Amino acid sequence: MARVGIVGIGHTRFGNSSEYDLADVLAYAATDALKDAGFLEHRKEIDQVLVANMASGLLCHQSAVASAMVSRLDMEPVPAELVENGPASGASAVKLGYMAVASGMADVVLVVGGEIMRKVTGWLATDVVSTMLDTETEYNMGLTLPGFGGMFTRMYMEKYGLTERDLALLAVKNHDNGIKNKYAHIQATCTIEAIADGPEADVVNNYIAEPLRMYSTCPVSDGAAAVLLVNMDSPKAKLFAKKPVRIAGVASATDTHCVHNRKDPLQLNAVRIAAEKAYQMSGLTPKDISFAELHDAFSILEMAISEEVGFFERGKSYLAVRKGETAINGKMPINTSGGLKSKGHPVGGTGVSQVVELVRQLRGEAEEGRQVKDPKYGMSVNFGGFGNNVVAVICAKD
Amino acid sequence: MIDFSMYDVKAPKISGFRCEKCGSEYYPAPMICGKCNSRRDPVTGKGWVKFDLEGPCTLLTWTRVWNLPEGYTKKFLLFGIVQFENGLRASGRIELDEPKTGMKLTASVEESNERPGKPVKIFVFS
Repeated sequence: MARVGIVGIGHTRFGNSSEYDLADVLAYAATDALKDAGFLEHRKEIDQVLVANMASGLLCHQSAVASAMVSRLDMEPVPAELVENGPASGASAVKLGYMAVASGMADVVLVVGGEIMRKVTGWLATDVVSTMLDTETEYNMGLTLPGFGGMFTRMYMEKYGLTERDLALLAVKNHDNGIKNKYAHIQATCTIEAIADGPEADVVNNYIAEPLRMYSTCPVSDGAAAVLLVNMDSPKAKLFAKKPVRIAGVASATDTHCVHNRKDPLQLNAVRIAAEKAYQMSGLTPKDISFAELHDAFSILEMAISEEVGFFERGKSYLAVRKGETAINGKMPINTSGGLKSKGHPVGGTGVSQVVELVRQLRGEAEEGRQVKDPKYGMSVNFGGFGNNVVAVICAKD
Repeated sequence: MIDFSMYDVKAPKISGFRCEKCGSEYYPAPMICGKCNSRRDPVTGKGWVKFDLEGPCTLLTWTRVWNLPEGYTKKFLLFGIVQFENGLRASGRIELDEPKTGMKLTASVEESNERPGKPVKIFVFS
């Protein structure tokens, strides 16, 4: 199997890009990745384009976005397909790109993920995202992803002693990182006084889905990210401006579509299995990982995922957050980009964005104040549905 | 909500499904029994028994959601996951002011026309 590396990265600033066309936003991130790799003029030599997007048909009234983006980049006749796997679409596209290169079918693959969510109202965006739930038993009941986030959080609190203040501490930590990230949606200071301890905290940090509050929930974002994958063992690998960051492991797993059908709804089996497979593929263990990007659509998920992937004992991750172990200078920095909470969550783009952050950190290109010291291996977990389809990626600085 | 007590029509039901071959029970209906691999024919239902899923249940977790999606006009709604006495679980609405995890509830089924399109069946736990 060929070794697969990332030689180019691109990223738009997440936030409100609703006045722009989705194909333009995707093409902008793709152009950045091609320029980063020094391959813009050679883009028609790319063997495959994969575009990750969850819901452009519903959110933008635009389908066939892979065709639209390729045309916007003047890349015809390069083959291009869409990858849709809910909020895990991005990492799924990276995984499929990896498979194309590793199998020998392609030497160079461009993976772009993105979403424009703010063309519609927040109510409609919430509804569209909820369509990933089981129609009869969840969506029809009126349930939403924040609803499941709230129920999961309550179970975790009652079993392990997590408090709302612990969730606020995690939000403060992620905003501390996001404010330094030029691509982050919410580049604003967030203090524990403002969102938990102060007299106005109940107003500033209102409930979304009890016990989850606004600062425990990611924003609705627009944006795109892109990576250029290359066969590191091919002569073509020498054509690129940047040294490849190797994809050491990539794997995914599924869990029951209906959350209520899980024997223990607090166990995120798909996360654990995807991570185990990625560790096995890379020959690494959780102790080898220098930092991680974990899918904190709700703050509780960063904690629960960090336990499932083996960074912390089950039910103990919030104690690590209290001690600052997941901060930039901690033992295991998590969500150095600001995470979904501060960097934002354009659903189809998030998985690619996480991998871009792995590359930025491993190259030593993160902004001052949020660069992890001499990282060797970075891990990302992209969480689809409410944990029913999860992709884990491990990148290495060789 | 539609009050069926006002009309001489059959109250809405939500079904659980039992595999006749091995007795395993499911909600929602699977295409293949996870225990004995029997296939369910969604048209004839042959080899599978449908039964009403309702009655006593225990609340496993709950939330009060304040950011409801398009179509809902209420300020908030309460949702929960319950476990029935036969071990099956379901998600649905809670109609109680102060739910507590572990409390005993009764599940019933109503039709909701809150969203555009055909009315849908929902669980109400009270």
